[in-house]
Amino acid sequence: MDFLSLYVTLKLALVATILLLLIAAPIAYVLAYAHFPGKALFEALIYLPIALPPTVMGFYLILAMGPKGAVGRAWGLLTGGSLLFTFLGIVAASVLYSIPFAVQPIKAAFLKIDPRLLENAAVLGLSRFAAFIRVVLPNSIGGMAAASILVFLHTIGAFGVLLMVGGSVPGVTKVASIAVYEAVEAMDYRTAGWMSLCFIPISYIFLLLVNRLNGEARHGA
Amino acid sequence: MFHKTITGNLLHRNIHHCGFRAFIGLSILLATLLGWPASGTAAEGLRIGVAANFLQATKELAAAFEKQTGIQVEATFASSGSLYAQIANGSPYDLFLSADEERPAKLHREGNADKPFVYARGRVVLWSARKSSCSATDWRQALADPAIRKIAVANPETAPYGAAARAALQKAGLWDSIQEKRVTAQDIAQTFQYASTEAVDWGFCAFSSVVSEQGRKGCHYEIPEAPEIVQAACIVKQTQNRAGAERFAAFLLSAPAVGVKEKYGYR
Repeated sequence: MDFLSLYVTLKLALVATILLLLIAAPIAYVLAYAHFPGKALFEALIYLPIALPPTVMGFYLILAMGPKGAVGRAWGLLTGGSLLFTFLGIVAASVLYSIPFAVQPIKAAFLKIDPRLLENAAVLGLSRFAAFIRVVLPNSIGGMAAASILVFLHTIGAFGVLLMVGGSVPGVTKVASIAVYEAVEAMDYRTAGWMSLCFIPISYIFLLLVNRLNGEARHGA
Repeated sequence: MFHKTITGNLLHRNIHHCGFRAFIGLSILLATLLGWPASGTAAEGLRIGVAANFLQATKELAAAFEKQTGIQVEATFASSGSLYAQIANGSPYDLFLSADEERPAKLHREGNADKPFVYARGRVVLWSARKSSCSATDWRQALADPAIRKIAVANPETAPYGAAARAALQKAGLWDSIQEKRVTAQDIAQTFQYASTEAVDWGFCAFSSVVSEQGRKGCHYEIPEAPEIVQAACIVKQTQNRAGAERFAAFLLSAPAVGVKEKYGYR
């Protein structure tokens, strides 16, 4: 059993989820309420990771985050280190990879908010930002929760992208899905079996949570 | 669900002439797509699983073999461990070109392959994409440079070139000290890819990739501590094309093939 890689997986999923909520909420807000030329193009760009093969994303990420790529060079100038094959590197990859799964449910929740609430907020003198914090966010907790769990599960299940940009460094970038793959390749079916078995209760519990949240959202509202 | 909707729409549109033509067009497209793999794996074609280090040489060898015999060769490249696992689990390969002697011998012992034969001897070298990197006197000194961030080694459990690199590093007493900088690639091709995109500073690559066009743009160190990599091949027992597989096996040891192998640095 490779507990270290399970730990890396859970840590990665947690960090990616928190970061994505922070990134996805403003994007979802823009997609839900703003009107600007090229909005459809922007929205399609955000959802692109759903349609791209993970290997395509991995390929571009290697080029971008490598020492010759723009992101890699900028990162090198800022920190003096490299981004590829580090924990932050796979966090960045996971965030990009899961962005649609965070934006979509949050945007749906934003759209469900009664526009009269926002009108009232405006009449009562709340700025747009204050209305976002005090009206929009509290009224879309269900969507945020659904987004977090989807992103969390999607990150736990990520494989191809991480295989390409991770470099399988134990304790740093070697996540559980890669540990399973390597165990199977090495014909260590015992380890592969136990590791695989770990995924089922984790994923199952979180899916139960999604259902419960959905139920609460229905009764609560 | 999608499937149903699409079919439903098509049936509905059949009434109109234009929709009917679209339906015919789609059917032809579908038939072509479904028929595609059948034409790719012709009955007399050969499916060979090849260790990743032998990629360049295989492409050239397969082209020469096809020209000579008219037998199509379809090669899959992966780590030897991965290919071994596939064949042991019944994947339909005709021939297995490993990067070691151990795995073909194991397949033979387990009754999955004929008696193995050695087709090439390779070696692992330390390669960097930057020509300026090679100013040290030897590979050990090169690795001692504190400016190095990452070093790529193929997974020693599945890739024989990775195992040879590990053996050399252990012999030189460097294995433990590079752990912080070590990045694991799934096979020797990914090792070279990491090194050539400069994602890592150094990669323990196959000499065959160093003599490739891309490889000549960088520089390398020989590793005398690394064991020579004796590469064996075997015909898979359940091959559907034994005659073709035997011809390719014989071709691998023929004079024209030896020339190609030498070109890529194999002995």
